[in-house]
Amino acid sequence: MNKKQKMFIRMVVASLVRRRSRMIVALLAIVVGATILSGLELIYYDVPRQMSSQFRSYGANVIFTPSGDDNIQREDLEKGISEFSSDEIEGYTPYRYENTKIHNMPATLAGIDFDSVLKTSPYWHISGNMPSGVGQALVGAKVAENLGIKQGDTVSAVNSFEVTEETDTSDIPAYEFYSDPESGELYCDHSLDLEVTGILETGGSEEEYIYVSLDDLTSLYLTDRGYDIVEVSAAAMQDRLSQVAETINSKSETISAKLVKRVTASESSVLTKLQSLVFIVTAVVLVLTMICVATTMTAVITERRKEIGLRKALGALNSSIIAEFMCEGLLLGGVGGILGSVLGYYFAQFVSMNVFSSSITFRPLLIPITIAASVLVTGLACLIPIKSAVEVDPALVLKGE
Amino acid sequence: MSKLLELKNISKIYGDLHALDNVSLDVDKGEWIAIMGPSGSGKSTMMNIIGCMDKPTSGQVIFDGKDISKESRRKLTEFHRDKIGLVFQQFHLINYLNAVENVMVAQYYHSMPDEKEALAALERVGLKDRAKHLPSQLSGGEQQRVCIARALINSPELILADEPTGNLDEKNENIVLDIFRQLHKEGTSLVVVTHDPEVGEVAQRIVRLEHGKIVSDKKNESFSD
Amino acid sequence: MFFRMVRGTFSRQWKKMLMIAVTVALGASIATAMLNVMLDVGDKINAELKTYGSNITVVPQSEAVISKLYDVENDDSQTEYISEDSLGELLTIFWANNITDFAPVNDTKVTLNGDEITLIGTWFDHRLEFVKKGTTYQRDTGIANLRSWWDIVEGEWIDEQKLTGDNYAMVGALLSKEKNIKVGDVITVKGEKGKEKLTVAGIFDSGDDDDECIFTTLAAEQRLTGLGDFVKKIEVSAITSPDDELAVKAARNPSLLSGDEYDLWYCTAYVSSICFQIQEAIPEASASAVRQIADSEGKILEKTQLLMTLITFMSLLGATLGISNLVTSGVMERSSELALLKAVGATNGQITLLVLTEITITSIIGAAAGYFMGYAFAQIIGQSVFSSSIDMNGMVAFIVVVLVLAVTFAGSIPAIRMLLRLRPSEVLHGGH
Repeated sequence: MNKKQKMFIRMVVASLVRRRSRMIVALLAIVVGATILSGLELIYYDVPRQMSSQFRSYGANVIFTPSGDDNIQREDLEKGISEFSSDEIEGYTPYRYENTKIHNMPATLAGIDFDSVLKTSPYWHISGNMPSGVGQALVGAKVAENLGIKQGDTVSAVNSFEVTEETDTSDIPAYEFYSDPESGELYCDHSLDLEVTGILETGGSEEEYIYVSLDDLTSLYLTDRGYDIVEVSAAAMQDRLSQVAETINSKSETISAKLVKRVTASESSVLTKLQSLVFIVTAVVLVLTMICVATTMTAVITERRKEIGLRKALGALNSSIIAEFMCEGLLLGGVGGILGSVLGYYFAQFVSMNVFSSSITFRPLLIPITIAASVLVTGLACLIPIKSAVEVDPALVLKGE
Repeated sequence: MSKLLELKNISKIYGDLHALDNVSLDVDKGEWIAIMGPSGSGKSTMMNIIGCMDKPTSGQVIFDGKDISKESRRKLTEFHRDKIGLVFQQFHLINYLNAVENVMVAQYYHSMPDEKEALAALERVGLKDRAKHLPSQLSGGEQQRVCIARALINSPELILADEPTGNLDEKNENIVLDIFRQLHKEGTSLVVVTHDPEVGEVAQRIVRLEHGKIVSDKKNESFSD
Repeated sequence: MFFRMVRGTFSRQWKKMLMIAVTVALGASIATAMLNVMLDVGDKINAELKTYGSNITVVPQSEAVISKLYDVENDDSQTEYISEDSLGELLTIFWANNITDFAPVNDTKVTLNGDEITLIGTWFDHRLEFVKKGTTYQRDTGIANLRSWWDIVEGEWIDEQKLTGDNYAMVGALLSKEKNIKVGDVITVKGEKGKEKLTVAGIFDSGDDDDECIFTTLAAEQRLTGLGDFVKKIEVSAITSPDDELAVKAARNPSLLSGDEYDLWYCTAYVSSICFQIQEAIPEASASAVRQIADSEGKILEKTQLLMTLITFMSLLGATLGISNLVTSGVMERSSELALLKAVGATNGQITLLVLTEITITSIIGAAAGYFMGYAFAQIIGQSVFSSSIDMNGMVAFIVVVLVLAVTFAGSIPAIRMLLRLRPSEVLHGGH
């Protein structure tokens, strides 16, 4: 480094350090601009992911149905689920339906896993409690009204079947058997007592079922025959979901995966709108902060017209004055960009924690982008006033006053 | 003695105003001239033209035997940088640079900054111990001496001073004038623009301007080295 | 003299003043645009969420459970119906403007080529006219907007206002494949009380049970069942406010609310108050929220509004700093002028008043310009994102003016005070 370069650095540093209050004013403007830019960038990229999990309150967006006559078995289900990545899966609930009689009225039992059902149907309103295990039931509001069931009641669900050679009757008490007086065939009225812990209200067809645990259905119907339908809630956009569904359909012979179009189609349309809202807001705010930075830099440069005149009087060429001032401006832009990236991350994190109660995804690529944008904007904001300032006649600036 | 500077029939016209009206002036090498006159007499315009910071509307400026009145701005800047040192009434120091750095700025734009040389120049004006002070920490007289040191640093052929004592008290005025005397002895040409008779009286030759015209141009009888 | 000095500043320093005004205008325009978008985003997103379909269903009050599995046994038990004429009452309720779409949905079993299938009679894009107490209400409504997720595989939606007659049908994709039905085919369906020949106008893929059904006009369905002008179910899509404590309390029992609470509840577009008003308008009906839709909408709305509020807050902060920054440097630049004023004997109070007057006039001009710029920005956002204009809230103008004045004062007073502490001689001889 020769003496000339050393002096250059010495002047730039002196200008930045000794004119501290002015530089802080300019730096503040740049930092605020860069903070808003990087914060909104982070939010923009994270909104679909964060909102997508909010949209999961609509419940399942993919359903598995048996593709042949056989029901879905646990191994097949798990194979199907594994086609999703683990952070996409919000939850899945297998359903097994059986017809039963309660108070001699027909009703439908739905066997579910009580622990996971709220993941796929978060909108369920339960007056009372969710059943916690075997021997308990959740009753849909319409069935409850129809059959006169209230919370706290104990109801008996009955499975009537004809006893054949294959029936394993070892666990069935003797009093449940009876034979048809005419044909002499042996029948069984196997029953299960269920304590009603809660009534389910959804405003939809879910109110028409009685929900029990899968284990209760196995013991009442003496077999674990698999599932009729599986509801899956996955945090992914429509394109990704249909891609996974296709993979499952081509790989599995027993499962047919279908998108719940009503949920997926609407979700992607709303999410796109939301993201473009954040995008355009970012763009508008960005344009305005850029102009703010530009006006601040213009003010800072205009203030130094006299100094520029003096430098010219000392024999400085326009190009060397531009180089010095631009170097200062670019340094400010760089420092502002770095500070802005850090603050922007905290800003985005603050927004994310407050709105979504989850932390924002850190995207390292946005740091160089923010710094580059900050340097570029500050550079441009300096270049224009400097160009006009070096055109001044030094004699005019230095004269009198 | 050879001529350093010749102004031939110089006019400078701003609209209707004839700031300089057909003025001719020769400056010999090593000469100390005071240009005097009331405000509005054309002193500043003349100084700007001599200092290569402005061009005349008509007439020739010959510096060191070279006609510079038709040169481009860039050439003028280079010429002025090499030949002339400027001293201002308002000092015009860069307020975020300390004394020695202010001197080095002139070196920086001229050739190559050298802190030792700059300190030597400050020593010449008696400010060696104030080299690291910022302009705001210096008195008016000290600031003006820094300004002179800056004008000297590139060994110009001509020192051009515009009301160099206008903002100074008597004590500091004398210090500055002593420095001028010293420079004159060393053979530097000096052009001092002033309206202050005391400052004019110490010069070798006094030129009076009124309404853009030279009204008198005579040797100073009382001049003593 | 005072005003002369103020005027003097504007005529001589108009460039600096213009710069301050421009910055204030920019800040004010951010504030205006963001606040307006923030206040309107709820309605906009709510309208978008309507693509999820209806969030309220209306059924006759004594409707019995009709599980799909027991249709045969229970069909006869559904003896009470809503009269088709009373659907117009929905246009007269307090929150009628929040009801974006509604349609009757009558499902019935019919036979097609010997197989029993479900047929649904509904409105597609029905022009409803209703006269009550001399006022005529008119609305185009129907199922088209309540099933926005349908893919029309072939043909198109039934256009009730263009087609003549009412014997048209739209057929689900699965059913059309099974029965090899194509657009333009005429299918004959047999109901309890009659037979209808329906021209297939479109094939749709809905991704749910509808894929196995036939949708036809309400009139055709009513002729098939022979039950007359009756409706079994109405699907309603309404723009609602997210539930809060009051809504939860009201949902349990509106009669437990105090008078004020009741008024507030009634006049807020909660899903429960809209349901309540529907029941008031159609006494034989029972309206209930579809929890899946209503809850999710509430959640998403709340999140979106919070998100926009925080972004707005941050933008305001940025704009505020930008303005106060420039105001401060604008005042600082005038140090020598202020020192001069002080040197000629002006008191601190007089100088402060002078500078504040100048800055305030500048800011107000800037704020006014900024408000209109912000209006334009808000409309750009509204048009490009939601393809509709953003409503301008009058309160925003007030907030912006207060904000700008506060920021201007906050930005200039410390700078003025700082300058006044300086000794005039220092400033005037500083060589700056």
